[in-house]
Amino acid sequence: MLTRLQKKTLIPSQIIGYALTLCVGVSIVLLAFQVHSDVTPLLTSQTDVFSHHAVPVSKNISLVNTLNKSSIYFDEEELQELREQDFIKEVATFQSASFSTRAVFAGGKIGNLSTDMFFESIPTKYLDVETDQWDWDSTSNFLPIIIPEDFLNLYNFCFAESQSLPVVPQSAIEQVSFKMEIEGNGKKREYESRIVGFSSKINTILVPEKFLSWANRVYGDGRENKSSRLLVEFENANDERIPAFFKDRGYNIDESELESSKVVFFFRLAMVFIITIAIIIIVLSMAFIIMSLNLIIQRNRNLFINLYNIGYSPVRIAKFYQIVVSIVTVVDILVATLVIMKVRSMYQTRLASVFENVDTPTNFWLVASVLLVVLLIVYNITILQNIKKVVTPKKMS
Amino acid sequence: MQIELNNIKPKYMSDSEISGSDIYLQPKVIFERGKKYMVRAKSGHGKTSLLNFIYGNNVNFDGTINYHENVDKPFTLRHNKLSYLFQDLCLFPELTAKENVQLKNLLTNYKSDEEISSMLDVVLPPEKKQQPARTLSLGQQQRVAIVRALCQPFEFLLLDEPFSHIDHDTAAKVAQMITKEVEQQGAGLIVTSLDDTDVFVYDEVMNL
Repeated sequence: MLTRLQKKTLIPSQIIGYALTLCVGVSIVLLAFQVHSDVTPLLTSQTDVFSHHAVPVSKNISLVNTLNKSSIYFDEEELQELREQDFIKEVATFQSASFSTRAVFAGGKIGNLSTDMFFESIPTKYLDVETDQWDWDSTSNFLPIIIPEDFLNLYNFCFAESQSLPVVPQSAIEQVSFKMEIEGNGKKREYESRIVGFSSKINTILVPEKFLSWANRVYGDGRENKSSRLLVEFENANDERIPAFFKDRGYNIDESELESSKVVFFFRLAMVFIITIAIIIIVLSMAFIIMSLNLIIQRNRNLFINLYNIGYSPVRIAKFYQIVVSIVTVVDILVATLVIMKVRSMYQTRLASVFENVDTPTNFWLVASVLLVVLLIVYNITILQNIKKVVTPKKMS
Repeated sequence: MQIELNNIKPKYMSDSEISGSDIYLQPKVIFERGKKYMVRAKSGHGKTSLLNFIYGNNVNFDGTINYHENVDKPFTLRHNKLSYLFQDLCLFPELTAKENVQLKNLLTNYKSDEEISSMLDVVLPPEKKQQPARTLSLGQQQRVAIVRALCQPFEFLLLDEPFSHIDHDTAAKVAQMITKEVEQQGAGLIVTSLDDTDVFVYDEVMNL
């Protein structure tokens, strides 16, 4: 009976309006969160083996440099200047070998093939290759190296064809072991060596940093390590000062590196923007239903006052409206999550056809639950407060 | 339970308006269970206000009211200690007479459906039970409101001008019903009235 009385006080059009706007707002929020987790790994797939994303920087080779070789190196002052920039997080240098090296391949009947080598090293965190063989200590007799994948590509796509030689996959190369001879300071040593990985970003032959520091001390000729190349990690790759800064000083920087972080940055920015708008929509729909309930309460104040008079507590009176709003909200959010599930399965099939499949977490349930709890708490409290305000006897001022 | 009033004074009345009252400004006025009280005053002198103060509907008074019960708010007494017949009845116009009473009864399930029906039959023509309250005359509405007030356990029954729209004979019939219920519950009865109605046998008459 009480329910019947209270049901008549409802304004169905406003409840439907609330349900629709809330559904739209919630769907957009859920979708944005989910798209963000699904798409970000795809955009950063080239760099997600990096926990640190650093960009190689070198000086422009111009006529000036060919005459004066020292100016291809970065000196202490220049390094310091770079480190002081607030858009630069860290600067690492390529270390080079100050001893001679030679790689020797067992050729069987033909005899050994050997070639002079050069090495460089960078801090391990900047490697774009995952390998568990990079740990080296001075007791180790094995020296891993990483070469640019472009070397192999040049061979496979250019040289092999012209020489009618077979093409060779990365995995085959990784099986070939050879000897690495290092010599310097009157000492000589031989290591077992293998190519353990191919880098798509670092344009040099890499050995573990620990090895090179040690070897330079033991075999090196004491040359000062001059860096002609740097790895620079940015705070924010999209800082507009960066291109200008590097251009002014004649430093070479691989623009495409910055592109990917720019894309991620803009994507994130777009998602944040969309989520903000969607949250505004949700807040507006909340305001709408609260105002609608207020209107109902005000329009029917006599009803509530009478109920209070005959002994119905505000909690009892509020229950009906709390339940109605709560059910509408729960159903609404469920509908939104179902819609998102459908939409997500649609775009995931399309993404899978273009990108390699990456497993991403389904986080829209969590977002939906959080939203639901927040909304329910706000509504239940507001309704009760408003009814209490209307029915309790007023104090004279 | 006892209702004790100490130095009660409505905030919106001056001292001169209520001087000479047996209740207002008195240091101690006690209403006891099992007794019937009549509070008499001319119109506009605060009869309804007094009952509203006791019931908790109106908080604009100086002084204190002590119910000698372990409660912090008068509201909690409404379920099973205090019952009130409002001067303006406070019925729900769209509900039928019977539903109006049932709505109240639902709070405590004190009376059975048959008891409600038989009480209503005493005060109304039988077919009026199922008609919306707004179609009843004021007198009929008043009688429905009285029946409603009886549908709960109470230790005090407050009636604000209960027979203002009812003729003397019907009033006597209704008063009988009320008295039976009050005595059955061992409750106190406080009635406000403009004039002397002799339908109840009062233990005490007070002038407001």
